[in-house]
Amino acid sequence: MKTRRLAELSMLTAAALIIFIVELRFPDIIPVPGVKLGLANIITVYAVYRFSGREVFLMVLTRVIMGAIFSTNFSALIYSFAGAMCCLGGMLLLRKIIPVKYIWLCSIIGAMLHNTGQMAVAVIALRSFAVTVYYPVLIVAGCIAGAFTGICAQLILKRDIK
Amino acid sequence: MPDRVKIIIVVVAVIFIGAAAATFVLFGPGSEPDKGKDEPLYVEIVRDGRVIEKLDLNSEKDRTFRIEDERGWNEVTIKDGRISITDADCPDHTCVKTGELRSEYVPIVCLPHKLMIRFAE
Repeated sequence: MKTRRLAELSMLTAAALIIFIVELRFPDIIPVPGVKLGLANIITVYAVYRFSGREVFLMVLTRVIMGAIFSTNFSALIYSFAGAMCCLGGMLLLRKIIPVKYIWLCSIIGAMLHNTGQMAVAVIALRSFAVTVYYPVLIVAGCIAGAFTGICAQLILKRDIK
Repeated sequence: MPDRVKIIIVVVAVIFIGAAAATFVLFGPGSEPDKGKDEPLYVEIVRDGRVIEKLDLNSEKDRTFRIEDERGWNEVTIKDGRISITDADCPDHTCVKTGELRSEYVPIVCLPHKLMIRFAE
């Protein structure tokens, strides 16, 4: 990896972590496990359209692990890991189909995949399908949050192109 | 706008509307269990997928008790025939913020302690 690439990725990872830590201070909007705005995803969506799959994967992995360390919430690690990997995998496939102009759409689907990954882990962890009643709420929240972060990423990219 | 993007937008919109409708059915009015005051109203406390306690809310007295294991504790309160988790030592406190158990379909969940409270038959 070129030094320049490495520096760029490190900067983005640091920015994502700062956003993540700031967001921890936000009060819960609705008391459903797994619902949050996920502002750090602005960086992920942006990176998906700018870097190679391997580079984004390393970036997201670092953010998830360091996020767990900084928030000291290790029981949430497995959920954020599963969610982040589903989201990233889906978005890496979608970037070939969805042009950068419609990055908000990619972000919405990414958010829904994130919630799907979390839900799968919750079903395994609780050994019960009863939690799946929260799935529709997660999808609705994911669409809204994904649209918001996607539009943010779009604004960044627009500035980047100039 | 390319056709494939249009198709994806339609699919996402359908999923969104479907999920919103499902949310309304599961959480909205009419989701409370339809039981009279004299009928038993059972709730069960489930940990790791196994029922550890079964209570009848219509005959339970108001009380507060703790459910504890090596992962931590949750303080459960029964008041006026309603059950809620009022305190816990988990990091997210989502179970406390959920409030009282209302919907027949939606359990109170504490993910860190793998604990669930829900209505039972």
